[in-house]
Amino acid sequence: MTTPAILPERGLADRLTALFWRHPRLLLAVLLTPPLLWLGVVYLGSLAALLLQSFYSIDEFSGMVKEEFTLKTYAELFRAQNLDIILRTLLMSAAVTLGCALIAFPIAYYAARFARGKWKAVFYLGVMLPLWSSYLVKVYAWKLILAKEGIITWAAEGVGLSMILNAILAIPGIGGNSLSTSPLGTFIVFVYVWLPYMILPMQASLERVPTSMLEASADLGASRAQTFRTVILPLAMPGVIAGSIFTFSLTMGDYIIPQIVGTSARFIGLAVYQLQGTAGNIPLAAAFAVVPIVIMLVYLTIAKRKGAFDAL
Amino acid sequence: MTNRSVKIAATSALALITGLGPAAAQMTEVGAGEGALSIVAWAGYIERGETDPAFDWVTKFEEASGCKVSVKTANTSDEMVALMNEGGFDLVTASGDASLRLIAGGRVQEINKDLIPSWSTIDPRLQDAPWHTVDGKHYGVPYMWGPNVLMYNTEVFKEPPTSWNVVFEEMTLSDGQSNKGRVQAYDGPIHVADAAQYLMFHKPELGITSPYELNEDQYKAALDLLRGQRELVSRYWHDAFIQIDDFKNEGVVASGSWPFQVNLLKAGGAPVASTIPQEGATGWADTTMLHVDSEHPNCAYMWFEHQLASNLQSDLSVWFGANPSVPAACTDGRGMQTAEGCTANGLDDFDKIRFWTTPVADCSQGEDTCVPYYRWVSDYIGVIGGR
Amino acid sequence: MTAAVEFQRVSRHFGPASAPVKAVDGVDLTIAEGSFFAMLGPSGSGKTTCLRLISGFEKPTGGTIRIFGQDVSDIPPNRRNVNTVFQDYALFPHMNVRDNVGYGLMVKGVDRRTREARAEEMLSLVKLDGYGDRKPAQLSGGQRQRVALARALVNEPKVLLLDEPLGALDLKLREAMQDELKTLQARLGITFVFVTHDQGEALSMADSLAVFNEGRIAQIGTPAEVYSRPRTRFVADFVGSSNVLPPEVTRAFGGPAKWSSLRPEMLRLTAPDGVALSGTVTGLRYLGAGSRVTVALNGTEVAAQLPAGQPVPEQGATVGLAFDPAALHVMEGEG
Repeated sequence: MTTPAILPERGLADRLTALFWRHPRLLLAVLLTPPLLWLGVVYLGSLAALLLQSFYSIDEFSGMVKEEFTLKTYAELFRAQNLDIILRTLLMSAAVTLGCALIAFPIAYYAARFARGKWKAVFYLGVMLPLWSSYLVKVYAWKLILAKEGIITWAAEGVGLSMILNAILAIPGIGGNSLSTSPLGTFIVFVYVWLPYMILPMQASLERVPTSMLEASADLGASRAQTFRTVILPLAMPGVIAGSIFTFSLTMGDYIIPQIVGTSARFIGLAVYQLQGTAGNIPLAAAFAVVPIVIMLVYLTIAKRKGAFDAL
Repeated sequence: MTNRSVKIAATSALALITGLGPAAAQMTEVGAGEGALSIVAWAGYIERGETDPAFDWVTKFEEASGCKVSVKTANTSDEMVALMNEGGFDLVTASGDASLRLIAGGRVQEINKDLIPSWSTIDPRLQDAPWHTVDGKHYGVPYMWGPNVLMYNTEVFKEPPTSWNVVFEEMTLSDGQSNKGRVQAYDGPIHVADAAQYLMFHKPELGITSPYELNEDQYKAALDLLRGQRELVSRYWHDAFIQIDDFKNEGVVASGSWPFQVNLLKAGGAPVASTIPQEGATGWADTTMLHVDSEHPNCAYMWFEHQLASNLQSDLSVWFGANPSVPAACTDGRGMQTAEGCTANGLDDFDKIRFWTTPVADCSQGEDTCVPYYRWVSDYIGVIGGR
Repeated sequence: MTAAVEFQRVSRHFGPASAPVKAVDGVDLTIAEGSFFAMLGPSGSGKTTCLRLISGFEKPTGGTIRIFGQDVSDIPPNRRNVNTVFQDYALFPHMNVRDNVGYGLMVKGVDRRTREARAEEMLSLVKLDGYGDRKPAQLSGGQRQRVALARALVNEPKVLLLDEPLGALDLKLREAMQDELKTLQARLGITFVFVTHDQGEALSMADSLAVFNEGRIAQIGTPAEVYSRPRTRFVADFVGSSNVLPPEVTRAFGGPAKWSSLRPEMLRLTAPDGVALSGTVTGLRYLGAGSRVTVALNGTEVAAQLPAGQPVPEQGATVGLAFDPAALHVMEGEG
């Protein structure tokens, strides 16, 4: 008895394997159709609906949405109080992104370059742990930490640093009655909440920079600072950009934190929430919602121009 | 119960629809129950002992009537209107803004109050209230109401403040420190009405007759007052529990509030009390209404009667820190409420309270003369933003 | 003549002091100025660590390193006038070739025009004229190697270090680059120190070489010395495969009772009759340029390399072995 050259078919799995082997594109189509449908219909569809809404306007007398094309709603964005919101959100997002980047870099650098074995696990745990607990719980916890009669004030009094805290709170624009009711407090909570989203992509991109690259730079005479500026930063830039896209867009869209910590001054997310939820002004809410999309597009274009993706 | 916050803030410009839809023929008698009843309600309004075993006013109703109650919780007035427009529900606990929209849209039917034996026990001040009575026809049964009170810290205020000026104007409080940074205001456009009410008392020359009907000049004066208030307020409140926390940890000593927070803070031992100052206060009132196409009208009428039972009203008012629509519930001892409790919740201040209605352009001052609600929304955003 | 690089009892230990891993263990080494010096050894022998000690990426745990007479123990890499061609080239992927080459000048603050001119000069030196605008990813392996070379040379280093510089290239290219490196070194007169595990490369390129084994130098000398007179069994075996003969076999081959080395190409096959040494052919390997025949004599296997064109015996045949007695090298390093 000799073994046959062709093995017998063992049922459905083998038949499918044969089908996909003969038509490789079929498998791709089967795998990709559901997510593409989801993306196309649900995501892009709702985005288109949003865009459409923003070109409608609200009738000033009845409050009814007028389904006629107009740019009036967009013009409303340029009203002083609405520009305030956009500018405030933009500044906060930029500050939060910068703050996250500054804090995340040493952590990510350590994790990518030095942490090994057990310490790597500790690092991931440390970074991910805050993500395990509910977002609301974290924000409420921060409200208590930052409160006028909270831990920070108490600690500052304990070590005699109340003067410094009060001096910081007296700075117009970022200070306030307490950390919890100041823009600075909002900033701190934003940075805390979004930090993991900056650390992880940064760490991933730093890990991909070979050690020899840093050695080559030092070998050619570069100081640590020069190496950082001309080699590490450009090579880690895709990670920094990826992280900043997270922190920037998450800050721009968030509507919970500014409700709980801060001066109650509106941010874009909160304005959208309020305009569509309680005021029924869906066109203006849609127009507001388009703003972060435009800002992100501008941001990515600038980043691309500046060569942020060259190392990809 | 935090949804109360959303609720008060919630409205829609759709409320501006006027004119009445055709009303279905009203019921003439209550027959046997249909075995089921579905209610759209605010969270905490229809309790069956699941949140707190002591507060249950559904189980016994089900046993007695055979009507199985199902509750759909809604978070905003918009959602309530949308659910009622969709249909499939029997009852809704609508607030002042939603109720008129539902009547105008023809989504609820006229109530035959003769079929509700306890109707006469309802607070006479509520029996013909304009948010459920149109052209002399009743479209619902009053459920509960409450004022927006001035909550204050009793250690800072030895005597109850007599005026809302403690939250509107900078002043030195009895502890020698400024009120700046130590007062709060409600984070919702409705707060413009509070400012208008304050001006109504202090600047009669503006000629404000209702805080919900403001012409351009009156509106501008109210906004100016609010801009001054922005300097005093370090954070506006919209969530009852955040406000409670701010009174505990943030050094806040005075703010417009609801009896709900006052009761909770007092129960926690905090030195607070509430008052309705000389200018009066704004407030809210909710009504149970019957869907025009209700499939279980008999059960609904049984519920109408049930909801007016003084023990239910009594427990409900304790649970929510509000006022029963049946005043006997405060005194007859059938529930947990007491006369003192009702007084604390503002029962005696009905006349000082201006119940919330949605500002519309066509008002008693004339057609298209009042500032409509959508502008309240955008301008109040500006005020809070420091503009 | 000054020594370009000098090691005195240099050690580099890793891990805990109680049980250290001795990557480099008490190495003494002098590399003459202008020489082409190879560090040869299997992986883990300490050769690369020695190179990194010169560039400054490793700090010695003991001993002294001098570069042109100056103690560099406390000098960081960027201040050592020594440049490296890395094994993976380590070209900066986000810069074009010209900027890569000009990098060393840029960090020294040389203005753009000067450094671009110098970069072009260097590219010309490594025969890459016109490649300045490309990105490293657009180059072949050999071209990248040249860019790495140009980049390291732009600073006019006192010593150029090359870490397995040809390891990633295919055979043909490797041979061409060997010649070029040799020519370049002769032309520039810079001291080249290169690390390799390929003994053929070390023999063909270096003026002198050090064979590393287990963190120590097993032998140091010119390629001819090391090849023909290995000091130890390890050197004999690692640098070109050799017949390493134990003392009793050395005796049978007519030498003293000591360990010795006999290169296969020094052995000739003869007829089995009337010779002192004869045995059975147990293995045949065709090498193209010749054949390698394994002969078993009294339990010892000896390899003989036959030039092409010579008749090759059959497997199992009995053959005689003959050699020039001078070719039998007694290894002093083996006691």
